Amino acid sequence: MSGMNAMGARHPIDLTVNGQRRSIEVFAHHTLLDVLREDLGLTGTKECCLVGECGACTVIIDGRSVDSCLVLGVEADGAEVTTVEGLAVDGRLSAVQRTFLETGAAQCGFCIPGQLVSAHALLADVPHPTRPQVEEGLAGNLCRCAGYEQIIEAVLSGADLGSSTADDGRDQGRLSTPAMGDRSATPDAELAPQ
Amino acid sequence: MRAFAYERPTRLDDAIALIDGHGPDARPLAGGTDLIIRLRDGSLRPRIVVDVKGVAELDAEIREEDGFLAFGALTTMTDIVVDGRVGRDYPALAEAALFVGSVQIRNRATLVGNMCNASPAADTSPALLVYGARIVATGPSGTRRVPLDEFFVRSGVTTLARGELVQAIELPRPTGRRGSVHLRRTRRRGHDLASVTLACAVTPDGVTRLAYGSVGPRPVLVLDDTGLLADPTAPAADKVRRLEMLFAGASPSPTSMRASPQYRLAMLHVLGLRAVATAIERLASGASQ
Amino acid sequence: MSSNHGAEAGAFGVGATAPRVGGLERVTGRQEYVADLPHGDALHVKLVTVDAARARVDVIDGTRARAVPGVHLVMTPADLPQPMPRFGPQRRDRPVLAVGETKYHGEPVAAVAAETPDAAEEAARLVEVDYEELPAVFTIEAALATGAPLVQEPSLRPGDPLATTNILREHRYGWGDVEAASNQADVVIEGTYAFPMVTQFAIEPHAFMAAPDGDGIAIWSSIQHPYWLQRVMADLVELPLSKVRVFAPDPGGAFGGKQHAKYEPLVAFIARRTGRPARLVLTLEETFQAVRRGAAEVRVRAGFRSDGTLVFRDIEANYLIGAYADIADRTVAKGSYTSNGPYRVPSVRIVARSVLSHTVPSTAFRGFGNPQQIWAVESNMDEAARILEIDPLELRLRNLARRGEAFIPHETPADGDWAASVSRAAELISWGGPRQPGRGRGIAVGLKSGPTTGLSYSTVRLLGDGSVVVYAGTSDMGQGARTIFAQIAAGELGAPLEWVTVVMGDTAVVPYDQQTSASRSSVLMGNAVLAACRDVQSKIRTMAARLEGLPDDGIMVDRGEVRIGERVLPIREVLVRGLGRLGGEVIGVGEARKEADPDHPLGGTSAFYEFNCTAVEVEVDRDTGDVTVTRHVTVSDVGKALNPLQVRGQDEGAAIMGLGHTLMEHYIFDEAGRIRNLGAIDYRIPTTMDLPLRMESDTVENEDGPGPYGAKGMSEGALLPVAPAVAAAVRDATGVVIRDLPLTPERVWRALHPELTGAPEVRQAIEGAR
Repeated sequence: MSGMNAMGARHPIDLTVNGQRRSIEVFAHHTLLDVLREDLGLTGTKECCLVGECGACTVIIDGRSVDSCLVLGVEADGAEVTTVEGLAVDGRLSAVQRTFLETGAAQCGFCIPGQLVSAHALLADVPHPTRPQVEEGLAGNLCRCAGYEQIIEAVLSGADLGSSTADDGRDQGRLSTPAMGDRSATPDAELAPQ
Repeated sequence: MRAFAYERPTRLDDAIALIDGHGPDARPLAGGTDLIIRLRDGSLRPRIVVDVKGVAELDAEIREEDGFLAFGALTTMTDIVVDGRVGRDYPALAEAALFVGSVQIRNRATLVGNMCNASPAADTSPALLVYGARIVATGPSGTRRVPLDEFFVRSGVTTLARGELVQAIELPRPTGRRGSVHLRRTRRRGHDLASVTLACAVTPDGVTRLAYGSVGPRPVLVLDDTGLLADPTAPAADKVRRLEMLFAGASPSPTSMRASPQYRLAMLHVLGLRAVATAIERLASGASQ
Repeated sequence: MSSNHGAEAGAFGVGATAPRVGGLERVTGRQEYVADLPHGDALHVKLVTVDAARARVDVIDGTRARAVPGVHLVMTPADLPQPMPRFGPQRRDRPVLAVGETKYHGEPVAAVAAETPDAAEEAARLVEVDYEELPAVFTIEAALATGAPLVQEPSLRPGDPLATTNILREHRYGWGDVEAASNQADVVIEGTYAFPMVTQFAIEPHAFMAAPDGDGIAIWSSIQHPYWLQRVMADLVELPLSKVRVFAPDPGGAFGGKQHAKYEPLVAFIARRTGRPARLVLTLEETFQAVRRGAAEVRVRAGFRSDGTLVFRDIEANYLIGAYADIADRTVAKGSYTSNGPYRVPSVRIVARSVLSHTVPSTAFRGFGNPQQIWAVESNMDEAARILEIDPLELRLRNLARRGEAFIPHETPADGDWAASVSRAAELISWGGPRQPGRGRGIAVGLKSGPTTGLSYSTVRLLGDGSVVVYAGTSDMGQGARTIFAQIAAGELGAPLEWVTVVMGDTAVVPYDQQTSASRSSVLMGNAVLAACRDVQSKIRTMAARLEGLPDDGIMVDRGEVRIGERVLPIREVLVRGLGRLGGEVIGVGEARKEADPDHPLGGTSAFYEFNCTAVEVEVDRDTGDVTVTRHVTVSDVGKALNPLQVRGQDEGAAIMGLGHTLMEHYIFDEAGRIRNLGAIDYRIPTTMDLPLRMESDTVENEDGPGPYGAKGMSEGALLPVAPAVAAAVRDATGVVIRDLPLTPERVWRALHPELTGAPEVRQAIEGAR
């Protein structure tokens, strides 16, 4: 613990952000969100609730989406991090970025980086999600402008550009009325009786 | 957030030594989804945070061992949700894990962390209790196994001794057919803290295990071996009376802002009856095992 | 219409679903909100508060805080000009820092400015405040009780006969003779309805920055009304307007909560004191302690003939506003003035009070005082329908004002075919059709008056190559104003949409706009932009006349084209020839006014009405009280959808926001008036998992609005009637009437099981009214 002052010690970390290797020194008590925004200047990742409820700070770490406000910067040592700035490749928007524009999903835009990162993480796991799977996948990203419908449509059509399956989940997966605490998106396998 | 020292040991011995050496001034860090919130709001002010994710002996594996399924200390809720074996043999745990937070939280939050925080509202506790989970704890004086029911003391307090870390959680393999389910009550359908969380398992010998949380300082496991609850033909009124006896220990906090004690108790019964019915159905329709 | 235009110009003209201007920045993370702006040498500000709803502050000791390395200033009230500067859009009652007494949980008593956020946070913790907690009033009942502690010192309210009460103001409106009409009613329905205290919860927490700027000052704020802020700041720091430059980057959601100054004065005083830029980014918890909607209790007594004809309405509303007026009293006035709704009622009496309390100052929030009373009046209508045994849809249609009808005397007459919206909503939800068991349907309407005054200027520059720069002082907070203005300019001046740049958010560059509120911008600024385009067109016409050697009146310029007899030329062609060798540009200016009417109770008539009809179907779990919205239909009368995609986004967003206060949102206080559910864990808003199982939004477009091409404002309507529609559906499904929001599972369960809970039997109460 040498080198401690009132603000604690700095820890050297190496991480890959949007494909770029970065070597920096961070304070232990700074979250990955702080590090991205303040140390790396990547302000696309947004700060809102700081308790892992709103998802505005969602990034992908080693293939999994996380709330970067609940990850310490030092924990990202050695990690591969993708932020909203890394979703477009060589200046070309991803399919979901394009469909977000087309469906009008982005209004004020503040939650959109998080929504997009969650959508990318979802589609990496489930390339052709049903509507309930999209709802579940984006439930950790609050939006106050939209009624979410255009966001959900954007993810569905981004998942399968040019295909007509975008609406299928609506009627297949939402016939029942779930109770508070039900997750209609629970995959069948997990509900299978023993 | 206040400053703290950070260590990321690579050996279990070193992690234990740090935790033991700093005692209450140290906090272990796994998923961090509770810890970092509390570091920020100042309700925890450790001098040192010990990140256990680099410890070689700790992993995120879900391992089939002799007579049980073991969850490594770093197993996340997402790992549990997607695991076919958990879904098949411990569906209430899979259902409960899916209720924990959002995708982002489940990708980070660990099952072991959920137990060590000892929140009475923890969603995975009731399922683990009805399945007879054991905690595997390692400390300065070695490794011991503790039934989960003896692990919880009250909100935020467990029987872990100074310097002990939970290395794994073990679930006994089912010895026969079983019908089980997890149910909860929340204020909205999206992720939320439970105002009642409950799991139920029914076995062909007529035994019903119920565990419930968020209605007292710790989750509670109760057992009906009269065969009444498991009997699909028993009158509902008898079951209600039986549940009243089993739930006699529930004592919801009168000061909670999430739901009144009266509502929580009423919902405990609603969920209890519904869970018993679902567990019986699942037992009846389930494949033999 | 757009098929007449050149293909490239017309593709995204008005009426088309043009992609959002600024959309690319929003999907790539490049859109910069205030907190994202470079702030290299800025000091970081942290507020110092005490953990009490109301407290007498005795001593503030910054000694330990000042010792923290990096701390530049611990600003206490003593460091501010004396007497304490106060500000506010309606009354100058809000101090820059609390003086002597804090009035609500979260009101700052001091602030720290430091080199890093860590140092500021650490130092803020170390500021020692000696205070004594004082009794607080945070309910309407307590605030109105005799002997209640006064929230505002009478000395702040000179000459005000109500100064010795917590009533900031009482508003009385009405017409006809309610007492006389009472005798003509066959049935009188009475009830008191409560609307909870909710917060805007914009996903972008408010952010502020100020910096010395030459001999003036620059302010950056996530503000909706940059020009209003400019006036407030100029006044507080005693500078001419020209020396106060406000930068207003697009807010990340606002919903009314970002209309008026909050902590801009504080950071400005810190910047001037330290000579350094100063920056304050609120936490979400702090935004909950900065902005909210007024809670309300509304008693409605309505008289009907047995055929359902309304004969009178008597409404008494108490709004629980906060410790300072902000714009809250205006929300009370405006929300009450139209609270009789879109109905033809011969006798109406409305009394509404703004009740001060030791709570967060309430302010504008989508719907502006109307949702509270619409909840009451429309719920009362539903109860009436049940007792009169008249279909709730029929009851509305029977009493709805028809186009042109002066349904409020001396006010703008009904400006739409409102029955068309109601019928459309009923049709979409199959109102009369069969229902599944356990489900119920409800319908309700909402009316809100638009801006009562307004002034917007726009400058449009048609550059030498035919591209366009539009200057508009509106704030684009997500409603899509930037896109609408670009569409108007593109269509009128014949430029492709992507050739149009819209400049906003800088008071030194962009001409004045009164404000971005009341769903006004498409109408008022839209008209200003259109007028500026017309100004450009008239100059093009003169240019064409000169080039062709023809009189002006033989030439027409419209929608991107120059018509000279039979010939049709693109504007650009005339422009390039007309500008000639020197090049240059053509500049147009436009102005749109909504004049004040000093004799009108609101200071002006309504520029237009927002009208919406919402119909829902719900399923209720009787054991748990869960309400599932199985279908949600929202139909708005928008005049003309300038961009249907954006209209849908606004309608659906308003609908879901309405479901928030209907089903789950409310502040929860402890016994001493502190907010218990600060932050996102225990203040719940809808997620993707909380949506109606099916959402359908539709519009009625009769091109009968005062805005460009017949548009009306429309961003609030779909929120207005959500709560009464849902509650009516719950009543339809269960037979139980609930008059308090939100309809949490526990509240619904209590209403369903009075035998268990001792809840008042509302069913009987209603029967008794018969």
